[in-house]
Amino acid sequence: MTLRIDPERNEVHALKGMADWRGKRVLEIGCGDGRLTRRIANLGAQVDAMDPDRKLITTARKELPARYSERVRFKAGSAQELKFPKETFDIVVFAWSL
Amino acid sequence: MVHALHEGQRVLQPDGILFDLRPAPVHRRVGILSDAGYQEIGVMREDLTDDYFANRAVKQVMREGLFKSEKYIEFDCNRVMDTLNDFHTWLLDFVDRGNPSQDSLLQRVEHAHPTLRGRKKIIVSAPLMLRRLRNLGQE
Repeated sequence: MTLRIDPERNEVHALKGMADWRGKRVLEIGCGDGRLTRRIANLGAQVDAMDPDRKLITTARKELPARYSERVRFKAGSAQELKFPKETFDIVVFAWSL
Repeated sequence: MVHALHEGQRVLQPDGILFDLRPAPVHRRVGILSDAGYQEIGVMREDLTDDYFANRAVKQVMREGLFKSEKYIEFDCNRVMDTLNDFHTWLLDFVDRGNPSQDSLLQRVEHAHPTLRGRKKIIVSAPLMLRRLRNLGQE
């Protein structure tokens, strides 16, 4: 199936306009197949991205370009119990997941 | 939802930012872009209850003094599909996720699609909302 979500990249333009992402430690909750994760990584952030769907996490890992591999980590998990210590992130993004 | 926001606040730096990005509680519009331009076909029927619950959860954590809302914007987000088959597959998945049947809309798209000339794209568009919340650092 050919489905392009947000080909105009309005989402990432809006996010870019609302924060300085360079060098920031970011948690993305609800990353799905990593579409937005890659765009956030491209803004210069260090991203931990999670989704409850393990299949989507597998897809996200496969589709991650090598140039982002040092800056992006995908993990299956729920927003109800985040396995991170207190005060870890500069930015948390609930991506279509609240 | 409130618990997830509490968890988000726990892992945030004291002055950190939480973004709430999701579809605005508005019904999606479906149209076809062809050589003749854009033709709107109809509007999708959706249950928006979860969106209202999410809005309520955000208001609650602000009332609790955990966050303050600094900025809110809405902007368009399109899903673009090249064929009727793509649209059909996407719509089936949409209904499978608990949304109401879209039979009438599908029929209208199937009726309009062959009448339009040239290269065609089916576009589902809906505004997204983005809210920036500042962590106030209280527990």
